[in-house]
Amino acid sequence: MKARPIAAALAVLGYVVMLVPILFVVGGAFTAGSTLKFPPEGFSVRWFGEAVANESFSQALTSSLLLAVVSTALALAVGVPVALALHRGHIPGRSLLEGLFLSPLVIPELVIGLALYQQLMIGLKQTSFLALLVGHTVLLMPYAVRVTGASLALADQSLEEAARGLGSSPWHAFRTVTLPLLRPGVMSAGLLGFITSFNNVPLSLLLQSRDFGTLPVTMLDYIQQSYDPVIAAMSTLILAGTVVIAVIAERTVGFTKIFGGIN
Amino acid sequence: MTAASPTAAPSTASTTAAAAEFIDIRQTFGDFTAVDGLNLTVEQGKITTLLGPSGCGKTTTLRMLAGYTTPTSGTIRIAGEDATRLPPEKRNLGMVFQSYALFPHMTVADNVGFGLKLRRVPVEERRKRVADTLDLVGLGHLAGQRPKKLSGGQQQRVALARAIAIRPSLLLLDEPLSNLDARLRVQMRAEIRRIQAETGLTVVLVTHDQDEALEMSDAMVLMRAGRVMQSGSPAEVFPRPANRFVAEFLGYENFVERDGRLLTVRPEHLEISTGPATEGARLALPATVTRVAYRGVDRHIALTTQGTGDEPVPLIAALRADETGPDPRPGDQVTVVARPDRVVELAG
Ligand SMILES: Nc1ncnc2c1ncn2[C@@H]1O[C@H](COP(=O)(O)OP(=O)(O)OP(=O)(O)O)[C@@H](O)[C@H]1O
Ligand SMILES: [Mg+2]
Repeated sequence: MKARPIAAALAVLGYVVMLVPILFVVGGAFTAGSTLKFPPEGFSVRWFGEAVANESFSQALTSSLLLAVVSTALALAVGVPVALALHRGHIPGRSLLEGLFLSPLVIPELVIGLALYQQLMIGLKQTSFLALLVGHTVLLMPYAVRVTGASLALADQSLEEAARGLGSSPWHAFRTVTLPLLRPGVMSAGLLGFITSFNNVPLSLLLQSRDFGTLPVTMLDYIQQSYDPVIAAMSTLILAGTVVIAVIAERTVGFTKIFGGIN
Repeated sequence: MTAASPTAAPSTASTTAAAAEFIDIRQTFGDFTAVDGLNLTVEQGKITTLLGPSGCGKTTTLRMLAGYTTPTSGTIRIAGEDATRLPPEKRNLGMVFQSYALFPHMTVADNVGFGLKLRRVPVEERRKRVADTLDLVGLGHLAGQRPKKLSGGQQQRVALARAIAIRPSLLLLDEPLSNLDARLRVQMRAEIRRIQAETGLTVVLVTHDQDEALEMSDAMVLMRAGRVMQSGSPAEVFPRPANRFVAEFLGYENFVERDGRLLTVRPEHLEISTGPATEGARLALPATVTRVAYRGVDRHIALTTQGTGDEPVPLIAALRADETGPDPRPGDQVTVVARPDRVVELAG
């Protein structure tokens, strides 16, 4: 009881720390002036117009979305069966395998990036998109394995056995019982993967090329040359997009369900 | 499918046809033998109970019958046909898991209808059979709920309904009552008996509770370390345990050696006499009272008597609390007697 005011104060502080920078950026995006400052000078939406019209931004956005979607799909395609095998199968060297799939979490991204740069782009002369795709897929793998694995704990093996006893073939039991229980875990792994890939800088910085750059890297480049409200407008647009995705996710599965699997 | 068709002529099978048989079944996990040379016949239309302490192989036996594990050696017959290697979905058995294993993402009605859907029962008939089965277990009003919303006892009934809805040739129950509180457990014993009587199902029940086994079984099978120690109806087994393990498991607490034979008597069948031995008593042991414990309906009198060796042998006598008679106190020298028909001779 005594700790209550302290806890409340800490919570408020947490929100302030999280929200104030966002407020600065969003506020700055609506300025009528031509420099990025807070409070904004007047109100206008012209910077949004410029952000949308910016060729390199829209190109980078397409690249980022493509990269995030494909690498997330690949990570899930490999990670979900791996999580199932790790959870269910009596495979030898199981902890070794588990360690292998979780290792990207501890290996610095720069190391992965450098390896891919040397081997794929220099050595095998592959495009930067392919190198980025491999890099991001590796990066997302631990999320796919971990988060799906956590939700598998719900799908007790006796459920599949019960289905078998009632007349299901092994595949039918998996499809009608295990898969639906896995869905929230796969969704959250997908969402986490998408966000992680979309926001990634280190790998993308190393593996970008003139014809393929992701949005965060392109924005970073932009800031280094000109510090104007366009960047704030672009950030605000990304924020809005994220909020829309979050609302849809909350409506369809529910956040507690999506992120319940993480711990 | 091996399930007996209800239209089959009864003349081909004897009236006490075996619903299932285990023949020389062994099950090993690595170098550990969980079931060792099991021979067992499950009779049609009866409740057969597998009873024994934790780890004696009851669940393993049930899982072999259901097809979830394949025996290392031996044969399992269901309705007379070899089913040793048949996968579970081809056996048409109803199983209630200890954890119930209800599908959390389906309603109660969908859980119960799961097996019927697989059997392509038409929608209308399916709906009716689900409703009838839920009524049978007294849960008709909860058809639309998710299992998580239900109490333990209700979940247990849903699991039971799901298993019997498919009209299985055998109903397998793995400690179905162990997750329920004591009162509900006693209620559900009668409930399962009633459902068995109404449906005429053949039931194999696993339990480690001897009261449950005695009350519910037509036939009980006592197991230890993967072997059958004794089997028979409760009325056969309870008064005539074959060996010390069975006797101890069924609550016999007094074991004395007489002329090289091992004798046992239940605590409530020991009498305490302050005078000389009563005529005709088979046991008449001089003993010393060590402790008296009042327990409401009875008093437990702990005594020691001299055995064949140097060690004193402990005895327990349960005297009805309202009984007028001797009132033994710690330190009293008494004679412990038992009627000849109360004394059971054990094989070992
Ligand atoms: N898949 C398995 N792998 C290895 N050992 C097993 C396996 N299944 C069962 N055992 C072992 O076999 C023995 C018998 O197990 P079982 O589950 O049949 O016992 P039980 O009589 O049902 O006991 P309980 O009353 O505790 O449920 C136990 O010692 C158990 O550890
Ligand atoms: Mg068991």
